Amino acid sequence: MDNNQLYKLSPQLHVLTWIVVITWMVIAAFPLFWMATMSFKLPLDAFDANALTVIFGPNTKSMIGGISIVGVLVALGFGYLFLKAHLQRESIINYFVTSFGSVPKFLVILILYIVLMIAALITFFMVVPGISSLFNMILGGIPLLNLLVEPFIGMTTQHYEAVWIENEFYKQFINTIVVTTGVVSISLTVATLAAYGIARTRSNLAFWLLIMALCFRALPYSTLVTGYLAPFIEYGLYGKRFGVVIVLVAINQPFTIWMLRSFFMNIPPELDEAALVDGCNRLQAFWKVIMPVMWPGVITTGLFSFLLAYNDYMVAMLLLDGDARTMVPAITQYFNRETTLTDQVEAIAAAASITAPIFVMVMFFQKQLVSGLTQGAVKG
Amino acid sequence: MKTKTFLIFVIPSLVMMLVFIAVPLGISIVQSFQNTQNVLIKKEQKKCDPFGCQKVISTIPLLDEMGKPVTKTKWVGWENYKTLLEPDRVSQAFSEEGGGFSELLGIDFYKAFRFTITFTLLTLPMVIIVGLILALAVNSIHRRYRGPVIFITLLPFVITPVIGALSIKWLFIGDGILTATIEAMTNSDIAVFSNPLAVEALVLFFRVWHTAPFVFVILYAGLQTLNFDSLEAAIIDGASRWERLRYIIVPHIMPLIVFVSLIHLMDAYRVFDEIIGFGAEAHVMSLQWLTFDFLMPDDTGNRSIGRASASAMLTMVGIIILLIPVLRRTWKEQR
Amino acid sequence: MKLFKIAILLTASILYAAASSWACEFKNKVPVNSLSNAFEAFKVVTAASAECGNYKAELDIDFKNKQPAAMAANPSQYTIGGISNSTIVPLLDGNLIRPLDQLVAKYGSSLTESQKIRIDGKIMAIAMMVNAQHWFFRTDVLGKLGIEVPTTYKEVLEAAKKIKKAGIVDYPLGATFKAGWNLGEEFINMYLGTGGMLVDAKNKPAFNNAKGVATLEMMKKLTRYMDPEYLLSDSTYVQKQFQQGKIAMANLWASRAGNIDDPKESKVIGLIDYAAAPAFKAGGAPATTLWWDGFTIARNISDKEAEAGFRVMMAGIDHKVLAANPDAAIWLSSKPIESRMAKGAVASAQGGAPSYPASAVTSIVHTQAGQKIVDYLTGKKSAKTALADMEAAYLVTAKESGYVK
Repeated sequence: MDNNQLYKLSPQLHVLTWIVVITWMVIAAFPLFWMATMSFKLPLDAFDANALTVIFGPNTKSMIGGISIVGVLVALGFGYLFLKAHLQRESIINYFVTSFGSVPKFLVILILYIVLMIAALITFFMVVPGISSLFNMILGGIPLLNLLVEPFIGMTTQHYEAVWIENEFYKQFINTIVVTTGVVSISLTVATLAAYGIARTRSNLAFWLLIMALCFRALPYSTLVTGYLAPFIEYGLYGKRFGVVIVLVAINQPFTIWMLRSFFMNIPPELDEAALVDGCNRLQAFWKVIMPVMWPGVITTGLFSFLLAYNDYMVAMLLLDGDARTMVPAITQYFNRETTLTDQVEAIAAAASITAPIFVMVMFFQKQLVSGLTQGAVKG
Repeated sequence: MKTKTFLIFVIPSLVMMLVFIAVPLGISIVQSFQNTQNVLIKKEQKKCDPFGCQKVISTIPLLDEMGKPVTKTKWVGWENYKTLLEPDRVSQAFSEEGGGFSELLGIDFYKAFRFTITFTLLTLPMVIIVGLILALAVNSIHRRYRGPVIFITLLPFVITPVIGALSIKWLFIGDGILTATIEAMTNSDIAVFSNPLAVEALVLFFRVWHTAPFVFVILYAGLQTLNFDSLEAAIIDGASRWERLRYIIVPHIMPLIVFVSLIHLMDAYRVFDEIIGFGAEAHVMSLQWLTFDFLMPDDTGNRSIGRASASAMLTMVGIIILLIPVLRRTWKEQR
Repeated sequence: MKLFKIAILLTASILYAAASSWACEFKNKVPVNSLSNAFEAFKVVTAASAECGNYKAELDIDFKNKQPAAMAANPSQYTIGGISNSTIVPLLDGNLIRPLDQLVAKYGSSLTESQKIRIDGKIMAIAMMVNAQHWFFRTDVLGKLGIEVPTTYKEVLEAAKKIKKAGIVDYPLGATFKAGWNLGEEFINMYLGTGGMLVDAKNKPAFNNAKGVATLEMMKKLTRYMDPEYLLSDSTYVQKQFQQGKIAMANLWASRAGNIDDPKESKVIGLIDYAAAPAFKAGGAPATTLWWDGFTIARNISDKEAEAGFRVMMAGIDHKVLAANPDAAIWLSSKPIESRMAKGAVASAQGGAPSYPASAVTSIVHTQAGQKIVDYLTGKKSAKTALADMEAAYLVTAKESGYVK
């Protein structure tokens, strides 16, 4: 459809379109790219006013070392392999799904995503440096070729080590996993039931529930937390992850119900009718007939629930403390311990660490995210 | 389905929402009319520290038999609201000798209110225009490239808002890379974060950066369902590209634009994460930030719960007023 | 071969034990944790305490907002609280910390009397260091321009003018004027330097007067010689400015001096010296306040945890630890520790600088100063209006909390 006369763009318009697209892509990705670059340099380089200093990290190179041209090539090589795997993911997933029979597809995607993430971490933090030093040993002595193995871009992983190992960021990571898993599972369970009920009923109550949900969604979180604080401290829920899970599930119910309902509206009621006629009660119809068809919608909504829980700042900030903290509020804590420039770069490394899983998640679940957004809108 | 079955399906969710949304809302409303304080007494204390010993008369909380400070809660009616809205100062500001609007904006609540409203209303058209331009642009490029483009476009939307704001802050603060580039190009000395207008612009920019992808995806999906017959008819009739856009494409996606506006209004009104990420509290504050600030314990360990609740209530009133036009429209459609 | 290996291992472990045993002589079996500020001194002490085992230190600049709620929880979320003379006030008022007399008698024999913080005779905290904001300056810049180390703020302005004209550094002055706590602290330091009182006997505000106006005007004059982003400038920022050679003089916390010559961060190693904080006017006391920092033990924990926490804390402030880090802070210890860093603070104390008047009402003034002065400095309000706003805001908070009727 897009190559017909309707969209035939004049050359100028074509160029303009591409300029718009590329400008936007740069604006979108540059801050994140810069954050990642800074996180691998020493403070002297990371905060320098000269862009080239920040990218090439001369001080880091002289004081600690860095990655050589060979290293860059090796990293690019592995990067290409990962990219290929990512692009071929559909066939890989289908392979696993067919060979393992009854495993649901999203589980395969999830496992694949986790495996690839771990593989990427191991590759880029251990294998690439390992291979680089191997090349260094081999080519180090040869006069011209040793230029290839000289550190070219200053780089250090010490900030990541400091964040994850010394400052035990993995504890906050585990907290985040616990909270998000709790939120996603409980939220989906409760909301699918409610959304199904609302989608399949003609009662006015359903309409009012939806409007109430919409109003609730509009409420600023701060309005609610003023109400939570005293009872939470009183009943010992302050500082417990479970408290945050329940609050996040409840606060995000309105959004989740709206999204799931629009997915349910897409499934023809005839499917339900057929199941009921066959002797199922509503619950059985729901579980055995509708849910298998609904999986894509559920996964998509689950992704958004995940994002909401993962990215939450205010609720976890006000209700969690110390060891129970999740990653995002912990980042401000990181800034609060930034008494030296080194601490600041460590905070940047922490921020990059928080962003990485989301980055990978978008890579894998891009289709579902897009469909979820459009479903919610198009069906209203 | 039968009402009874419907209720069974809906009860878990309903209960959660009532307990965790409706009830705290109620508690918050009640708290906004109360004031809880420690009962205080004056006591002479001898304090010794590395610099010597002193006898001082301190005002300290009275303790009960369990060793906890005694608190008293009393009903204060509209006092918390008065403290926030400062009606006396407002009328004085608009009287003869008053400073007018600039004095009004010196009061925290109005400063926060002004910022929240301008932020919400200014970002709305910006977000829609940027989203629409992107949707039209991506719709025009070859299908093969759309995947990666959409991937990169989605990133600002999914990244944690606090971290997104931080990443942009690092580009500008002090001798951040972008500030340095601008300084080099204009040969001047710029301090982005000491300029309230610049900070406000950055916060607005961040919201547009963060929300445009959302608008883009939705409008892009809408563009896929365009009716090609009417477009073809328009081309035959000699309509220019601009006219096609104005008379066919935009009306077609208008429901989506309305939907997106609704969501944006609700979200932008709650602006908070950006202010934290940019550390912009020195220059701008939003209504939600104001409430949050009252909730954080101050240096005496006290949280201003009464004022926080009043501020939260006033914030809610604002969002209800903003949403009325949209709700009215939905109600009319339903009927 | 086996014997050789054993010998190596033994030697290594003896050396390792020797190196680490200086920090902790007892193995801690009870899990304890602490929450404190994040500057260097606390990093040093908590790292040493960590060697006792079973101890987790949380370092956070916002600790004072978290401590009261966290320690009011039952059980308290933290065993040990790192505090200063100001941040101990909410814990004392809320009765959240326990008297340490028995623990001191049992384990605190190495403590000097000045380390024992007593309220009405009971030891409520142990001080480990003193701190104050005092004058830091670049010896090379002042030397090159032939400027004497300023002793009053008038001299500071004159020196800054000369430095600005010479253009050797980006800005003559740096200051911890970050909106909020830092700015409030600067106001209080300067205001007390004029000899004024913050509140009267009835806790009513006493700063909206000529002395308050003079304080604000002096602060504004100083900003003309600073980086225009001074409202974001906290002590980390100023330290960075010094290290990157951007400023020549500043009133900075003594505790920052230890780290300022870090070779990974500083371009001006060895070029910074210290002096007493300048006085507001000739003949007055240095316009700064004296602080102490230390530890307290929570009340809402078991006696076993309290005892373990106290011992861990004592291990952290052991003389050997402090002596190994003489530049991290101006330590209080059984045996004196020589440090160049104490120079400025000691000079300020000897010049008669007052200790920070810590109390709940002072905290309210402090918070309001940090917020209401911003508009005056950016030119939006006059000094009188800013002070009137500060007074009004103080009264609102004080009345809400019951300190003023």
